[in-house]
Amino acid sequence: MRHLLQTIRDLWKDPMGRVGIIGVLLLILLAVIAPLAAPYDPEQMVAMPKLAPCAEHWFGTDNYGRDIFSRILYGARVSLEVGIIAVGIGATAGYVLGLVAGYFEGPVDRVIMCVMDILFAFPSILLAIFISAVLGRGIGPTMVAIGIVNIPVFARTVRAAVISAKGLEYVSNARSVGVRTGAILIRHISPNVVAPFTVQATLALSSAILTEASMSFLGLGIQPPDPSWGSMLSEARSYMEQAPWTALFPILFIVVTILLFNILGDSLRDVLDPKLKT
Amino acid sequence: MKTYVIRRLLQLIPVLFGISVLIFAVMKMIPGDVISGILGVDATPELREQLREIYGLDRPYVVQYLDWIGGVLRGDFGESIRTGEPILPQILTRFKVTAELTILAAIISWIIAIPLGILAAVKRNSMADRFVRVFALLGVSVPNFALSILLILFLSLVFNYFSPLGYVGFFEDPIRNLQIMILPASILGVSIAGSVMRMTRSSVLEVLRQDFVRTVRAKGASERVAIFRHVLRNALIPIITLVGMQIGSLLGGAVIVEQIFSLPGLGQMTLTGINQRDYPVVQGCVLFIAFVYVLVNLVTDLLYSYIDPRISYD
Amino acid sequence: MKNVKKWLSLSLAGAMLMGVLAGCGGDSTEPSAPAETGAAETTGEPAAPVEGGILRFGTDSEPTGFDPHTVSEEASLRVINQLYETLVSTNADMTFYGELAESWEIPDDVTYIFYLRQGVKFHSGREMTAEDVVYSFNRVLGRTEAGDIGALGSSASYYGGIASVEATDTYTVKFTLEAPNAAFLNALSNNYGAIVDKDVIDENGDLMRADGGTGPFQLVDWLPDNYVELAKFEDYWEADRVQLGGITYYLIGDESARLAALRTGEIDIANLSSTNVTAAEAEENLSVLGYQTNDYIAVGCNLSTPALQDKNVRQAMSYALDRQAIINIVYNGQASVCSMVPPGLGHWSLDVSTMDLYQYDVDKAKALMEAAGYSDSNRLTLTLAAGLMDSLRQAAVVIEQQLSQIYIDVEITNLESGEYVDIWGKMSTPEAGFDLMVVNDGAGTDPNRSISFFFGTGASANVFGFSNERVDELCALGLATTDEAQREEYYNEAQEICIDDCTKLCIASPMKYFVTSTSVHGFSPSAADSSNFRDTYLTQ
Repeated sequence: MRHLLQTIRDLWKDPMGRVGIIGVLLLILLAVIAPLAAPYDPEQMVAMPKLAPCAEHWFGTDNYGRDIFSRILYGARVSLEVGIIAVGIGATAGYVLGLVAGYFEGPVDRVIMCVMDILFAFPSILLAIFISAVLGRGIGPTMVAIGIVNIPVFARTVRAAVISAKGLEYVSNARSVGVRTGAILIRHISPNVVAPFTVQATLALSSAILTEASMSFLGLGIQPPDPSWGSMLSEARSYMEQAPWTALFPILFIVVTILLFNILGDSLRDVLDPKLKT
Repeated sequence: MKTYVIRRLLQLIPVLFGISVLIFAVMKMIPGDVISGILGVDATPELREQLREIYGLDRPYVVQYLDWIGGVLRGDFGESIRTGEPILPQILTRFKVTAELTILAAIISWIIAIPLGILAAVKRNSMADRFVRVFALLGVSVPNFALSILLILFLSLVFNYFSPLGYVGFFEDPIRNLQIMILPASILGVSIAGSVMRMTRSSVLEVLRQDFVRTVRAKGASERVAIFRHVLRNALIPIITLVGMQIGSLLGGAVIVEQIFSLPGLGQMTLTGINQRDYPVVQGCVLFIAFVYVLVNLVTDLLYSYIDPRISYD
Repeated sequence: MKNVKKWLSLSLAGAMLMGVLAGCGGDSTEPSAPAETGAAETTGEPAAPVEGGILRFGTDSEPTGFDPHTVSEEASLRVINQLYETLVSTNADMTFYGELAESWEIPDDVTYIFYLRQGVKFHSGREMTAEDVVYSFNRVLGRTEAGDIGALGSSASYYGGIASVEATDTYTVKFTLEAPNAAFLNALSNNYGAIVDKDVIDENGDLMRADGGTGPFQLVDWLPDNYVELAKFEDYWEADRVQLGGITYYLIGDESARLAALRTGEIDIANLSSTNVTAAEAEENLSVLGYQTNDYIAVGCNLSTPALQDKNVRQAMSYALDRQAIINIVYNGQASVCSMVPPGLGHWSLDVSTMDLYQYDVDKAKALMEAAGYSDSNRLTLTLAAGLMDSLRQAAVVIEQQLSQIYIDVEITNLESGEYVDIWGKMSTPEAGFDLMVVNDGAGTDPNRSISFFFGTGASANVFGFSNERVDELCALGLATTDEAQREEYYNEAQEICIDDCTKLCIASPMKYFVTSTSVHGFSPSAADSSNFRDTYLTQ
């Protein structure tokens, strides 16, 4: 806990880190208060189609006459929900697999890492498209698909950290005095992999959000009428010239969100990785 | 070293085998089939059965798989169900486009990123450094597809420019080829420039701290000479390996960029294959992409361990 | 330092917002006024044609191949229509003219004799004779040795009733039918009736990538996923009429990219949806050509879903559909409310604008739903399959909204094309996994096609499982007579029955648009023939 507070304090000292923290918190806040803050139902056709931004509709309306501002707010929910749960799935599975592979090494390690290499060999967007084609469309399957795509990165990160931690004196000491495997894993190794793991998770969030947006852009991710920034952009691309706001606001939010997570991840890495500190 | 290379090559076998099983299984699980697409609306169940027989789709999956993979091992990827064309020659033709696109993108990313990365490292913590870092992150954060459609619109409205149509190979007409490729390659390049920039910055920083640089500086060589002659040479290795590692995201990005710019590359071929449920085409393309990816990774790894003696060969 | 970064991010956001505001100046939010239809020749002195000009066509999707007997999707047909010809062809007013047949006679209602044009050459240089016509139809009907199974998929509904095709001399062909068929000439004008070169098929196996036609243009090169290049066929039987030197089809999948390419002059012609037509009209160097299609969108009910077996529910949905709102949103106002025989078929089409089931009436719909036992506390949930095509995807969203008013919750899934085709064929069974499906159907050019093919018991495109004895009987009657007034009566009654049943709720038939550069002349697309470039020429 003290460690965590220290990390946050270090992050706060870095101006980039501060931007990241505040920005991400703001985004989460937006997503949480969406039902209260959104002036309209994001799925209702409330006005004329393709209204330019004005007092009643801050971001204008889309080609169905739905309020873009409200859809952006609810879209934040979808993006964050998909991102967090997908990374949660990928991180949990990757963590366990990496821990097991790194601790036992030998044949267990080889089998696990071979499977990871197999998953890793597909371009992530293609793999996600394949998995979602099998699982079906919509929020749930999209989360799972992106989650699976994320497993190998985490497994690799954790495995590498475990292997280097095993070389540490106190871990080999614990082993030699006969502490049980499980206990060693949990008590001694896990804390050591937290740092690279956290950095990886933050960066994975940004790529998960990007993958969701790309899939929805291709029409294969989140299904209408659920608002997703990617699918909003996909809808808008035919109207770019007459109603540029229908495309620009989703793009703006996709870019800013991914940027914020990248900034946070980047500063986190600086803070947690002692090699880069000077 | 030699045994290490051989061992790494042998390790590829189970990975490639697993990839082939996975892609085959996925294609069988995906709903929809090629027969409905070929036969028009009047398809009768009998016709359907007949066609399935002709294409061997009525056989048990194991037999189908073995038949396919056996062919692949002999260098025969089968024929497209849709067009009857042999697949491997098509893949190779298409791959030239994708390879050119990714290589150009990598070069463009170096041109943008390496000077900026060095600048950021040398002027560490300055305004320029921060600007470069934000710029780098921004590049990574703009999705390829968004950048593509914005640029197409912007360039046509403001400069009356549209990326030329009608693909020609580099060796047929290099100038026209580059005119066609420059915009998609730049978009792809910008998307990885950020990571290259970050890597350049940190490796230059690391090298700058090393003893020999201090020695060179102490001997009175000017700062600039020191940087270019010594630092860059030493820092370039991790940068190049990074691009090797990014081949995955480049190939993935190529799928989307090729689609938007209608380039006849491997990504486009894969997507069309998925749409038409042309199983052998999709299987062949994905296996090939994965193979290239695995191979590039291996080469990068080997290169890295060859250059950096700290990595052991076990 | 801090401030710099803040400014940076602020000005960035500002720049994007400026883009937004700059873009909306003078933009109208009303659906645009209808674009002029028919040939839009520019005024003033007609400039001299460019000798051998190449027409650059921006196409929205990649063709699968060019075998006229097996392929039917639009991107392929665009090319096939340049390469191949049929015995007879359709005028814009749905009458017929001889193409490869110079004339024909119908001695009795099951015999058709065609006198072929002499001296017509295939692209190989060989003369086309009656034997080639016999071969072509035997191929479509699966009566050749090779079997050509791929050609059979769509042939039955067009040529199923042909008893025999004989060459009585080099230039005369006699068709004998099993029963009278008033739609026979119409069927011959379809692409499946193309006359093909046997030698080319023998050499290549099929015509997917080969060219065995007699048409005004011949295939030069095809770089898949990029372009298809055609050149004028110098030995074409009407070569003097053709002024273009060739046509090149460039694949530009993205709609806004096609518009951008038109604006910059990178292409001369492209198909655009009604939403972008407004933008194109504002451009000085572009003109817009529109025509009423024979396609329509509809939502079909899977009759294996118990709730949808209740006609009250289906009719309630018809009342709940605000078709005009769908037209405004999906087609920017450029479409007509229609039955299964859309207005593009002229007098065959029934005027539905005053029909009861086409009136938007939520109260009536609610009452019907309540009669069927639904209420706010007992809502009906239905799954709806849509596609990635803009019109299907957008219609689905509006339908979902409209049905939510009458106790129906719709869950949409957009299927990509491979899946879509597969599920379409299963829509009368629970196996489909969907209760409703939005479809975009082509009604053909004869009412027999529009009705018996989509509504006849067991007909191949009758995927929703509709079955009505009277409709089957009327379709049979409609084929047996050539008396147009009599036929019209039969098909009108059939339309009314199908509309009343509400298994397939027809919504609207859209306009389609070509946008051309002002240097393109002599191109006038219609529903019957939307890719005829025989008279087209380019000016400077």
